[in-house]
Amino acid sequence: MIMPEWLDVALRSILMIVGIFLLVRLLGKKQLSEMSFFEYITGITIGSIAGVLSLDRSVPVLYGFISIAIWVLIPLIFNLLMQKSKKVRDVVEGKATVFIKDGKILEENLKKEHYTTENLLYQLRKKDIFNIADVEFAVLETDGSLSVLKKKEKQPVTLKDMNLPTNPEKEPQTVIMDGKIIDEALKNSGLNRAWLKTELEKLGVAVENVFLGQVDSMGQLTVDLYADKITVPEPVEKPLLLATMKKCQADLELFALATKDQKAKEMYAKHAEKIEQLIQQVEPVLR
Amino acid sequence: MTVASQVKQCLASLKSVKAGLETFAEQSVDAGTKQTLQHAARDFDRIISDIKKRISELEKEEPQYKGF
Repeated sequence: MIMPEWLDVALRSILMIVGIFLLVRLLGKKQLSEMSFFEYITGITIGSIAGVLSLDRSVPVLYGFISIAIWVLIPLIFNLLMQKSKKVRDVVEGKATVFIKDGKILEENLKKEHYTTENLLYQLRKKDIFNIADVEFAVLETDGSLSVLKKKEKQPVTLKDMNLPTNPEKEPQTVIMDGKIIDEALKNSGLNRAWLKTELEKLGVAVENVFLGQVDSMGQLTVDLYADKITVPEPVEKPLLLATMKKCQADLELFALATKDQKAKEMYAKHAEKIEQLIQQVEPVLR
Repeated sequence: MTVASQVKQCLASLKSVKAGLETFAEQSVDAGTKQTLQHAARDFDRIISDIKKRISELEKEEPQYKGF
């Protein structure tokens, strides 16, 4: 059967696109985020085989498929073996190389990985480290990126360092997407459509105009509208509540000072102090 | 403004705080947060009852300003 050349190329290309699409599914998600050097090469090779196969009419399609099948199967087998044994992992993926330990650069390891001092400094600078004295530990990962642990005193302050109470925050739920209500997300946060309707009415917007709406674990709704010129009022409930608490506390202190009744004075002072404690307790939650 | 009316105003604020805390407690998904807020609301309840007692004392002293 004689086909026009262009039809042959078109058919081959379509075949390749479908084939590659299925193969990508087969190889899994891991490829995208943490490809090892080996997997990287595999991907490129499969891609170029597919490219040649779709354009070069002198190559029989069958040969191309055999080649691709081998390039897919062997990495898959390797993957299986790697999951089973650490030795195979070390051979295929290589080991991470320690570059800086206890704040000292290990020159031997740099040489082993063909890293120059400039390379190392460049990688550190990309991590916002300009002074080697700030580094406690650095390791070259198998994918070629550098992971750095800064010295304790150079690490950013955490709430724990400051002994501040934390507000355990759950992931926010996206309840409106492209103007449509996502019922599953609403259910996950224990809310319903009626609640969403009242919240939207409070903000003065209709569901159709909302591009994206999220609810945090405190039940606070944040929306982004299609019309970017309209500003949505910032949520005020939490800061307002905190402010009212502070006002009550100040009032009680004032009463304590004003009254001549000794018993009432004590009562006011006691409660003013109690409210101050409560403010400290709930402030992380309400911020 | 009399002292009694000032205290009454404060009582209203206290009640609003209590209601606000309870609302957030109801809405929060996290159990720890819920508990913190519920405890705070309960503490405010105690303060409110004390302030109410004080208001009735004040009203006895100045009966002409009774009521709201």
